[in-house]
Amino acid sequence: MSAKDTEMGRRDGSFEREPARRVFASELRECRYQFRDGEDEKSPTFVLLPTGERSNRIFLVGTLTEKTRQGEQNIFYRGRVIDPTGTFFIMAGSYQPEAMQQMAKIETPAFVAVTGKPNLYQKPDGSYLVSVRVESITVVDKETRDLWLLDTATRTLDRIDALATSTTPDILKAKEQYPTLDLATHRRMVYDALAQIKI
Amino acid sequence: MDYSEATERISRKFKKSGNEINREKVEGKLRRLIEEFGVQPAEAERSVSNELAKEFNIPPASPQGSSGTGSATGQKAIADVCPGDWVTLEGKVVSLAPPASPAIAQSGIVADESGAIRFVVWAKSNAPKIKEGAWYRIESAVVDEYKNIPNLKVHSGTTIKEIDKTDPLIPSPLPVKDLRPGIGSVRAKVIQEWDVTHDRMLQSGIVGDETGTIKFIIWKEQGKEKLAVGSVYSIFYAQVDEFNERLSLNLTSATIMQEEGDIATITGGDAEIRGAIVHIAPGSGIIKRCPVEGCNRALSRQNYCPIHEIQPNFVYDLRIKGWLDDGERTHNLLLKRDVVEALTGINLDQAKEIAENNPLGMDEVFLQMREKVLGRYVACKGREIENRVLVNSCERMHFESGEHTKLLNRAGGAS
Repeated sequence: MSAKDTEMGRRDGSFEREPARRVFASELRECRYQFRDGEDEKSPTFVLLPTGERSNRIFLVGTLTEKTRQGEQNIFYRGRVIDPTGTFFIMAGSYQPEAMQQMAKIETPAFVAVTGKPNLYQKPDGSYLVSVRVESITVVDKETRDLWLLDTATRTLDRIDALATSTTPDILKAKEQYPTLDLATHRRMVYDALAQIKI
Repeated sequence: MDYSEATERISRKFKKSGNEINREKVEGKLRRLIEEFGVQPAEAERSVSNELAKEFNIPPASPQGSSGTGSATGQKAIADVCPGDWVTLEGKVVSLAPPASPAIAQSGIVADESGAIRFVVWAKSNAPKIKEGAWYRIESAVVDEYKNIPNLKVHSGTTIKEIDKTDPLIPSPLPVKDLRPGIGSVRAKVIQEWDVTHDRMLQSGIVGDETGTIKFIIWKEQGKEKLAVGSVYSIFYAQVDEFNERLSLNLTSATIMQEEGDIATITGGDAEIRGAIVHIAPGSGIIKRCPVEGCNRALSRQNYCPIHEIQPNFVYDLRIKGWLDDGERTHNLLLKRDVVEALTGINLDQAKEIAENNPLGMDEVFLQMREKVLGRYVACKGREIENRVLVNSCERMHFESGEHTKLLNRAGGAS
């Protein structure tokens, strides 16, 4: 969906929900470019995935290995969700009370399905961190995790293929922002992730 | 561009009434309108003609029926009339509707063998009162368009005469996909019934045949009855409305007859969508519905119906509203009770039990269902209407090792 479609959708009142992209942790970790689509205060922000797709929301399934409660007055939860390629950093604060309550209840480790918004931060030492603000989190079974692996592998391979053959504005932007991107490495990552499913 | 042809046409038109036009002047006007103001040629010709007509004191040109009353030359078949026409026609009044305004004496639908059209008799026209079921000859009425629907207007210059004709008129039903704004007849099956959203609404839903489906609506009126889901009906003279480029059938003044047997309906609209359920919306789980006949609205926590106020004798129901996301697109889902029961494993009785005995009440049902559904991969079959999928079946997806192998090959193939 192009940015123009989204804008037009908003103008005539019919709200169009941003889709939740499927992305492996090791790709999300490499995001370095975040932008706002439009001038409005409420315009959505997107991180640009290295494989050339904008993402305002992601859906991920992995193992919640750690969660910590932080803050005194403004309580929030942080957590780490592991997929075969790396770690997603997730958080839920008082602006997401539902998500925070859901997170408070879950006992680690557990397979969890998370819908949330990725945000790119630069730490004081100059390094980058992508954290996912949780909209919802639920405990799921291993089959759901495996379905997510297949789904995310498919979507990632689709993006890798598109990067080689098509020239959408987002793809061109990605090539500019991630000049050192190595498609073979990403392909390898997908293969390794798939190989972790034991049959 | 050459304007002599258009000028010639205009000249001939006015010669009939004995007027000579100044060709040079007319050509100049046409050129100015078209070249300077970007007016469409046909529109420019019309505009110049009208201006001349005013100059020569000729009443506005009327393509039909201008030859005076009593002449049959202007008579048209109803199917052939177009907005803007002055017409004379013979037809049977197949339905009368209560007038929508004091300025209107009578309104309804008049039909002949070729088709049907809505008509309005202005109160000022002093026309004789017409009866449903009788044939009339209507002379010098004018056709205009109201909400994209052609409408026959009976004004003070129109003459109406009852004629001695008793031909039974059997309209031929159209395939659903061929319906156009106006009046149409179909033979169709009621596929789905929706919640009524207005207290004047009797019923709404979808009817269809093997060529397509269309939304229908029946407003409350004396003697109107609801249609049964799954039954086939012959629907004569329904009003086909257009809104936002979508057609819908207003059956309030239609003649409806239930048919024996069954017909095939289109199944192509029953698309399958797969993805993950990424959100369960408030208002999902167990809900209370208004028990008033034909209402069925969801009640608030205080058993309050927006129309019928407090309803202590509510009816319980199950539903799930949420978003299904395949990574490219999101679909707004609406799951009905049987689909919810199959997907969550919680049936209405169990949900009632939870709602009535748990400290959290109905919220507990919402939470339990959300735990079972949110974040799961499902395959849904249903019909997408106005950005919402009305789900007929929804099943959990399962891991397929064939898919896995294919993906391993795809990922490994190029490295």
